[in-house]
Amino acid sequence: MTGYLIRRLVQMVIVVMISAAASYALLNLAPGGPTAGLRQAVQGGRNRITAEDIARIRAYFELDLFLPYRFSRWLIGQPRGPLTIFGREFFGDTIVGCYQERMATVRYADGTIKDISLGCAQDVTLGDLVGRRTSNGVLFGDFGLSWRLLRDRPVTMVLASRLDRTLQLISLSTFFSLVIGIPLGIYSAVKQYSVFDYVFTSLAFMGSAMPTFFFGILMILTFAIFFKNIGLPYLPPGSATAVRAYTIPWIGTVQPESLLDHALHLILPVTVLTIVNISGWSRFIRASMLDVLRQDYVRTARAKGLWERVVVVKHALRNALIPFVTIIVFSLPGLFGGAIITESVFSWPGMGRLYFLALGDYDYPVAMAILFITAVLTVIATLLRDFLYTLVDPRIRFS
Amino acid sequence: MTASVAPLSAEGISLKEKTPIQIITQRFLRHKLAVASLVLMLVLFTISLFAQAIAPFKVEEIAVGKRFVPFGTVDEKTGRIHYMGTDDLGRDYFSRLVYAGRISLSVALISVFISQLIGITVGAFAGFYGGIVDSILMRIVEFLLTIPTLPLLLIISSMLMQNETLISVPEPVLVVMGKIMLLNPRDSRQAVIIIIVLAGFGWLTAAQLMRGMVLSLRNQTFVEAAKSLGASDVWIIFRHMIPNAMAPIIVDASLGMAGYVVAEAALSFLGFGIQDPVPTWGNMLSATQQFMNDRPWLPLIPGLPIFICSLAFNYIGDGLRDALDPRLKL
Repeated sequence: MTGYLIRRLVQMVIVVMISAAASYALLNLAPGGPTAGLRQAVQGGRNRITAEDIARIRAYFELDLFLPYRFSRWLIGQPRGPLTIFGREFFGDTIVGCYQERMATVRYADGTIKDISLGCAQDVTLGDLVGRRTSNGVLFGDFGLSWRLLRDRPVTMVLASRLDRTLQLISLSTFFSLVIGIPLGIYSAVKQYSVFDYVFTSLAFMGSAMPTFFFGILMILTFAIFFKNIGLPYLPPGSATAVRAYTIPWIGTVQPESLLDHALHLILPVTVLTIVNISGWSRFIRASMLDVLRQDYVRTARAKGLWERVVVVKHALRNALIPFVTIIVFSLPGLFGGAIITESVFSWPGMGRLYFLALGDYDYPVAMAILFITAVLTVIATLLRDFLYTLVDPRIRFS
Repeated sequence: MTASVAPLSAEGISLKEKTPIQIITQRFLRHKLAVASLVLMLVLFTISLFAQAIAPFKVEEIAVGKRFVPFGTVDEKTGRIHYMGTDDLGRDYFSRLVYAGRISLSVALISVFISQLIGITVGAFAGFYGGIVDSILMRIVEFLLTIPTLPLLLIISSMLMQNETLISVPEPVLVVMGKIMLLNPRDSRQAVIIIIVLAGFGWLTAAQLMRGMVLSLRNQTFVEAAKSLGASDVWIIFRHMIPNAMAPIIVDASLGMAGYVVAEAALSFLGFGIQDPVPTWGNMLSATQQFMNDRPWLPLIPGLPIFICSLAFNYIGDGLRDALDPRLKL
């Protein structure tokens, strides 16, 4: 048992490190970043941005360091300067980056003109890093500064400002999906081949084939636009709160930021997520319930003369829910990461939309933080799943 | 006393034997929704195949001064009809929809083909040889399957889309893809990258399925027989294992089509897929989303085929599962 846990923990750390390195490398190969668009931004007039300015900005965001050093500073906040042992400095002259490249414009024989690099004009050494601002490292909970969305603010702050919105959305929809989806799945399995079962499985099938973004747009068209046009009480089409007061027929005037306002804005996205979840989960429950209901011990329970309700709830359901543990546990990363598409459709200011905006706007520290935390949560979820399995099902042993 | 018994002919007592293909077709035909879906998809594919003949306008053709014209407006100069009106720039909506269908369906089809090919090969070799390579490979597959795919798809596609030098797609590939999707080679690069991204993540389930099948087939007697006849490993894998493991793979491919149509649309919808002048159902939907207050049909029209394709391929997959291997049914 202890050996197993230790092995799993080691595996977990390795996986987290690999995914961190991979995501970091991926995003740093991508173009853009804090200097994207600067060259075009303030051209003309006195505010012309020079190559020197760009080099300074690159240095400010550590883009002048070589990838391994940058990664290590991002991950553990080291190296911060030369190695100091007993007051003596080592490796102070080691080159860790390039402040500014020496560029030259070359005209080729075929007439094309290209800027090529002639090596480094000014190196960055380990000694230069002393006194530079740095994060304490991702592993210690410091994700550095945002590049573009909220320039120079800590990423953790950006994330924290969005987290509660995503938590609201995902926890509410998960709650409703469980409360509605599980009974539906059970009922459908118990009444197999009934009209209800037929209708329900068809609907669930369609629901799981429905693309979320199209579903969201359909909901907005129906409940926000169509209902408003025909004078029925309508729902706000997007965002999390209103800016100014608005009037809804039958309900009256809604003040922005009031509880009612929050609730009204939550309804559409939560409904979309809930329906999508239900159609997947309840089909799963139905299948696993049908599987269990065919088992011998269920027949034994019935033969003993137990009430059907007791058979279903106490004997069958318990075992049917075991595979469901996986699904529940793996909604943990979603609780943090949000739902990218649904949040985008409804302009819900949550994590998913933040991630999407950060990628589109080259704010890689933010995107990377979300990706990294999601990966860690996924790994934790995997561990939790295996642990819960052994807890709920004694037949499964650690191996 | 002997009663005369009419001699029984062999034809009289035994049912006529059916070929496996016949049995499968018969079983598939029993699934009405799957058949309907298949017919619908054949129609869609035919429309896409003859896109140039069916669409009255070109994709980028802008009718100047004719934004948002209503359905069925006739173009005075040429007499062509805007069947579904025009979009915000005055481009014919129906023509764009038809061309978009060709692009979306081709992307999905090619992605399925490539991902199944990779999945089958990796899964078959991992399952057949086992050992340390197998366990490392399957660990990776398991991990990739657990992480949420969309964030990764977004990152990789945004990185590849913006960085032309990082992955240089060979010119002939671009030209061929351009021919398939009716695009010029410059634009078909986007489609190729989407295919790479989708297929790059799509082979995982196929690999798992194939590995499972190969593991169960490995100890069958016919494999032993082939081995004792001196067949090489590659021969056994390609001649005996893969054909016998095709049932779940075909089902997976059909469900994969549904997944890829939706995934491509989702990427384009979020702006990380194929970009605007090139039409796809996803980017048409996202481009016209802003006009849905006054013109709700504009986002509905490209959204419907995405939903229909997704549903239809799911039904076809369901029908194929019933037909090929009833034991697989959930």
